[in-house]
Amino acid sequence: MLAAPWVCRSCARSLRHASIFQFVRRASTETPVRLPPALLERARRLTAEHDQLTSTLEKDFDAKKAKRAGEISRIADALRQFEKAKAALSELHGLLESDDAEMRELARDDLEATNAQLVESSHNLSAALTPKHPFADMPCLLEIRPGPGGTEGRFFADTLFHMYKAYCSNKGYRTRVVQYEASDSDGQTGSEGEIALQEAVLEVQEPGAYAIFRGEAGMHRVQRVPATEAKGRTHTSAVAVWVLPSFPENGTSESEADWENPESDFYIDPTEVRSETMRARGAGGQHVNKTESAIRLTHIPTGTTVSMQDSRSQQRNREYAWRLLRSRIAQQRREAREEMARQMRSSVLANSQITRGDKIRTYQYQQDRCTDHRSGLDAHNLPDVLRGGETLGKIMDSVQTWLINKDIEALISEEEASAAVASREKGK
Amino acid sequence: MPRLRPSLFWRARREISPMAAKLLPACRDLESAANELRWIREYVRDTKSPIPDELRVWQLAEKRGRGIPLQYVLGTQPFGDIEIKCRPGVLIPRPETEAYTLHLASLLSQSSPPPTSLSILDLCTGTGCIPLLLLHSLLIPLRAPTPIFLHGVDISPAAIRLARANLTHNTPALNRFPHASSSSCPYNLTFSQFDIFSPSLITHLQHFLNPQIHTPTPTGTGTGTQDQNTEPPTKIPDLLVSNPPYISPRDFNSATARAVRNHEPRLALVPQQQEGLSPIHRYRHDRYNCRPEDVFYARILEIASVLKPKRVLVEVGGWEQALRVVRLVLENSTAATSRNNDGGHKSQEEYNLVEVWRDEPSAGDKGERVEVAGREVVVQGEGRGRAVYLSRV
Repeated sequence: MLAAPWVCRSCARSLRHASIFQFVRRASTETPVRLPPALLERARRLTAEHDQLTSTLEKDFDAKKAKRAGEISRIADALRQFEKAKAALSELHGLLESDDAEMRELARDDLEATNAQLVESSHNLSAALTPKHPFADMPCLLEIRPGPGGTEGRFFADTLFHMYKAYCSNKGYRTRVVQYEASDSDGQTGSEGEIALQEAVLEVQEPGAYAIFRGEAGMHRVQRVPATEAKGRTHTSAVAVWVLPSFPENGTSESEADWENPESDFYIDPTEVRSETMRARGAGGQHVNKTESAIRLTHIPTGTTVSMQDSRSQQRNREYAWRLLRSRIAQQRREAREEMARQMRSSVLANSQITRGDKIRTYQYQQDRCTDHRSGLDAHNLPDVLRGGETLGKIMDSVQTWLINKDIEALISEEEASAAVASREKGK
Repeated sequence: MPRLRPSLFWRARREISPMAAKLLPACRDLESAANELRWIREYVRDTKSPIPDELRVWQLAEKRGRGIPLQYVLGTQPFGDIEIKCRPGVLIPRPETEAYTLHLASLLSQSSPPPTSLSILDLCTGTGCIPLLLLHSLLIPLRAPTPIFLHGVDISPAAIRLARANLTHNTPALNRFPHASSSSCPYNLTFSQFDIFSPSLITHLQHFLNPQIHTPTPTGTGTGTQDQNTEPPTKIPDLLVSNPPYISPRDFNSATARAVRNHEPRLALVPQQQEGLSPIHRYRHDRYNCRPEDVFYARILEIASVLKPKRVLVEVGGWEQALRVVRLVLENSTAATSRNNDGGHKSQEEYNLVEVWRDEPSAGDKGERVEVAGREVVVQGEGRGRAVYLSRV
């Protein structure tokens, strides 16, 4: 019961929903040493395939087979290591029961190290077994958009944009600004000269950039005293970052990156896209001289629209708009597939997936702190984070580890579920 | 032109910048003012000058605000994948021209069998944008080295100077293609100053097509149709393209945008009306009896009937003009057929394909047909009527 005699309706509602708005601290926990038999079975199967492939490859070379062998070689290696550690452990257990006291002493000393080795190798094995993300080898597009409310979020969006750009240049990744649109181009500026950003798209042209930046997608929250705030109150605002796969400029033969291939996620039937340009009023042609080069593409089946007006050249706007549309559609298709797979799995994992609506990170200026809510890492050098320095790299690495752990968990539960289904069918 | 509300200026000043308010009289809305201001800033950032940047932005915005086209203010206009220089006195390339030029280039490169060499003529070339973009777009898909010869003609010396400057400006972009710079695939783009109504134009063009054959300059009144029977068989151009002046004096005063009317050359927009000074009036009254804005089409079709290009494309000002040009083509060819039938020869005049292209011809055939002079004509693309395309292949 509430202590207050009467609570107004809106307060009561906010009390009721209070728990929903709390952050879920998805701190990573050490994955258990258990390796379900189903997973082990799969590893053995793949290793057998690998051995067979390598033996056939010795006789005659086939590029396709070689590629497959390369893909599963890390699983074979990990399994070998795992089995070595297991053999060592059982040997040690045997030694523990020996009559020699000195021998027992030595075995006990080694036991701890070998156990740790086993944990590590089992972790490696499950990491190797998790399927590689299909877009992992691709360059990516980072889309940055301020959340609703105020110029403060827009200023911070600009800060984030510069942070990622600086991070890329520190790491030596090639980038290109696809879109950089300010809402009030030189009205106000933030405390560090940032402009109020409306939307920015940064392309990281490094192959594999998608895997690096995959964990950055989501809502980034900022807590600080804005430059425009007279009374010194802390404001909280949010900026959305989307990470989309982008296909490399010079077409590669990989099936995922090839957008001409109807099988690919990037394929869009040109007849399903409506293209609109700003058409001049009146007779057109020599009669008028317009400078509008804006172009809008609408993908009719999904209703996704992309508009581009950055360049004076309509040709270039159209090209970029197509690229962005392809990336968005590919991401949507991928997410839809992941959603389906998730529903098929057990509900244990239901809240471990990140969608773009979740807040993933907080930048706290007063406390000089940057917290990632998934890995639970607190970094205490905010200026370095915003300069795109090593601290940001550390945070991103921690997210990578967290993502891999989540993938492993998903894989284990998937294998267990399928094993359970198989045993049930056997029972029938 | 409706008056702009003061609140719009107020908003531009507050939400974008005081410069944007300066641009508003020319841009008419906030979004394009913001875009143009950004492009001006980009231009200032990318070019070097001893004058401080902010002052230059202010100067350029001032100029643009007075109604001078942005292309003249910045000196360039993107056209397809290339950049065309623009100067006052020469018509600015239009996006519609860009659309059909790119479509034309894809038609030429996909034609089967693949062409072994291409010769292209452009009448009323202006900035030289059409031959330059055609050349640029043809160098990419033509894998096998194909020699391409292009020639542009314009009456204005300023236009020819600018077209040549544009060729030098885009030479690095053209030589980027590996096979373009090699000697096995020579491309040759030239421009010359000529009045397309002058009788010697046809000999000039034939000389360009067949540089090895010495063609004597015609004497006196030799015009195209008379030359036709006396000339030796010549090489046929693959394409004759033209964006001639096509606005009637009446439309010039009422239907053109203010920036066009006040700042772009009338010579490039309206067929000249100095009757008696130029042979132009013959086309109006004696031979074709066409409207003043259509005289250039009459002359271009006459040139085409001598040179017999495989394809002809002319830009037109709208749907009605497109139909008038199609009628001119069909009546012209039936007249020629009957003339030839009297002489017992089989007609070579007939175009086996007559099409009207709309603003976006790449949208393709939507099943639209229109009947002109008893013949069904295919309409390609979407938008307004923009070009008439004739083909003999």
